[in-house]
Amino acid sequence: MRQLALLGLVFAIIGLAPFVISSDFTLNAVIMILYAALVGQAWNILGGYGGQFSFGHAAYFGTGAYTVAVLQVQLGINPWLGLIAGGAMAVLVAAIIGFSTFRYGLRGSYFALVTLAFAEVLRILSNSVPFTGAGVGILIPLDQGPANLQFVTKQGFFWVIWLITLAAFVTVWWIGQSRFGAQLMAVRDNEDAARALGVEAFRVKMGAIMLSGLFSGLAGVFYAQYFLYLDPYIAYGPAVSVESLLVPIIGGLGTLFGPLLGALGLHVISELTREFIGEFPGISLVIYGIILIAMVLFMPRGLAGLASRLRARPFGTRAKAAEGSHA
Amino acid sequence: MTDEKKPAGIVRRDFLQTAGTAALGLGITGLPTVLRAQPASVKIGLIHPVSGFIAFSGNQCREGALMAIADINAAGGIKSMGGVKLEAVLGDSQGKPDIGAAEVAKMAEAGINGIVAGYASSISLATSQEAAKTNTPHVVDVGVSDQIVSRGLTNTFRFSPGYGKIADFAVANLDAINKAAGSPAKTAMIIHEESLFGTGTADLLSKKLPENGIEVIEVIKHANPTRDFTNIVLQIKAKKPDLIIPANYYNEYVLLARTMRQQRIEAMGIYSVLGGAASNYKFVKEFPEAAENIMDCNHWFNPKSEVALARKAAAEAKGLVYTYEVFLAYNAVLGLADAIERAGSTDKEAVNAALSSSNMDMSFMPYGPTRMVDGQNEGAQPVNTQVLKGDIEVIAPKEFASAEAVFPVK
Repeated sequence: MRQLALLGLVFAIIGLAPFVISSDFTLNAVIMILYAALVGQAWNILGGYGGQFSFGHAAYFGTGAYTVAVLQVQLGINPWLGLIAGGAMAVLVAAIIGFSTFRYGLRGSYFALVTLAFAEVLRILSNSVPFTGAGVGILIPLDQGPANLQFVTKQGFFWVIWLITLAAFVTVWWIGQSRFGAQLMAVRDNEDAARALGVEAFRVKMGAIMLSGLFSGLAGVFYAQYFLYLDPYIAYGPAVSVESLLVPIIGGLGTLFGPLLGALGLHVISELTREFIGEFPGISLVIYGIILIAMVLFMPRGLAGLASRLRARPFGTRAKAAEGSHA
Repeated sequence: MTDEKKPAGIVRRDFLQTAGTAALGLGITGLPTVLRAQPASVKIGLIHPVSGFIAFSGNQCREGALMAIADINAAGGIKSMGGVKLEAVLGDSQGKPDIGAAEVAKMAEAGINGIVAGYASSISLATSQEAAKTNTPHVVDVGVSDQIVSRGLTNTFRFSPGYGKIADFAVANLDAINKAAGSPAKTAMIIHEESLFGTGTADLLSKKLPENGIEVIEVIKHANPTRDFTNIVLQIKAKKPDLIIPANYYNEYVLLARTMRQQRIEAMGIYSVLGGAASNYKFVKEFPEAAENIMDCNHWFNPKSEVALARKAAAEAKGLVYTYEVFLAYNAVLGLADAIERAGSTDKEAVNAALSSSNMDMSFMPYGPTRMVDGQNEGAQPVNTQVLKGDIEVIAPKEFASAEAVFPVK
């Protein structure tokens, strides 16, 4: 319960943002951090807690995004309904991918490659079929108003992403406390042992991938409504899949706050490198990459791991403890 | 909090209102515009994909825009504002619409007076929409999607032609070139990249060419990037089309053209629409044999204009390849500066109004008179170019032509 209280406090503090931030740019940064935390947390459910490393979360993200866009543009269906439909379609795609892979016992790099292939297949399909706009993409008409899930100010978008992200984090907190979560982590740590203890690994993994798909799909819906334009590369391209896994890896795999820390850390590094060396094209990306490599090398448990390590070791004992850890 | 969001111009206006009342009391009836407090500089945001997978084009855009700013400043800055200089504020979208939009938000808060962006249509859609939230004047330099100016955004303008016009022009001129040669071309194959530009081109040409008596016998889509065109070229060789119509970005265009040359493809002509390399001096210089006789429908400058030729020489003196990105970004800055000049201030509404009524002289381009309709310069049009004897010549329209079309080649 202490963790839930802390979660509530963190989100309450984040919720103050629209009241204390007058700068649209800064509020946009907070929105994008929440959005990155959402895609990262979605991946974390399956990858961090379930130990199933997916390289193809774009499949769920893109499905959510395209669902809301296609329903609006082709069928005139309100995007609030599209939000639900986007999440549902992403769950369906996750169920199909999960069934096709877990049913046949795919694990590790095989599972990762198959998920990557699914995302790529969806990218090629969306690039070919006319109702997604094919390669031309799909532009959601600008029609600002809360009824259309488009807001004149950033505050409206902030509350939408804040709520969805909060829901994702509360779900992950629940996973950490529940029997389902315990089974999921048992599968992650040793699937054969978990099976021997009576855990239905297939059912547990299916639950995890569908929850993961749901939040990825909702992130896709949010992206579509925020930027109002999608094409196959934006929706199903590798950038989304990479961002999804990078955020929890940097923040801390299988931890509740890892994706939030990862999203914050990545955004701050990205902004700082762009701010100070952005005038030299490409250099900021190189520095960004070097920092990421260093973080992965020297902080294998991510920012969350670093935070707990610092908390656990008072200053006087840190050097001694470090010596011990190398021993 | 509220004060931070209030535009500086409004505050100044409030101040002037009070001061004006006092001045009237003293018998002074007004102040010349240029004597009013002016900003130290007019800030122009330049947002381009200078890193990432379209970095070459993004950098070309940035260089063109910077050249325009330097030229305007050298000519005395914004004269109606007492010679205030333009100041470039640089942004990198990294080829991503969301980062482009974030750059706009940052610049808008830093008090930017106008934005020129964003090379790709997808980025331009995002940047113009974000700029619309603060009514910041936004001029699109290269993005050709017609959707950019059809969303009712009152801050978004484009001086170059949009896709619909380019495609119509391409089809009509191909028909004219074919008919002038006695209509020898009866069949065509389209090879296009997979995104908005290539797919849109292929769809449109597939519909329009049969109306002009040219049957489209095959449409081949390829991914970006594609590094081996052998299979595609072998298909072309098997089908023996009279016309080959590529619609791809620079790298793929070059590879396709080279592979066709290696495989000794013989067609009556290669005719591109917005060909990534067909109107590019770099391609012509590096692969003259592959480039020879290729026709293109693309953005180009007026080869009969001294101003255009002087700008080309200046760009080349700086070591730049004079691609359309350079001169379209240059023109976009010029159009924005012209509007600020006519508005006599950086008030956003006034600048947007000036852009809406722009009649800037663009005789350095092969355009008609500048006339803005819903943010689109209706006077803008593409031209047909052809690579002839190692140089890029304009072959249509006639009033801008520097050479006659060579067709059919075989």
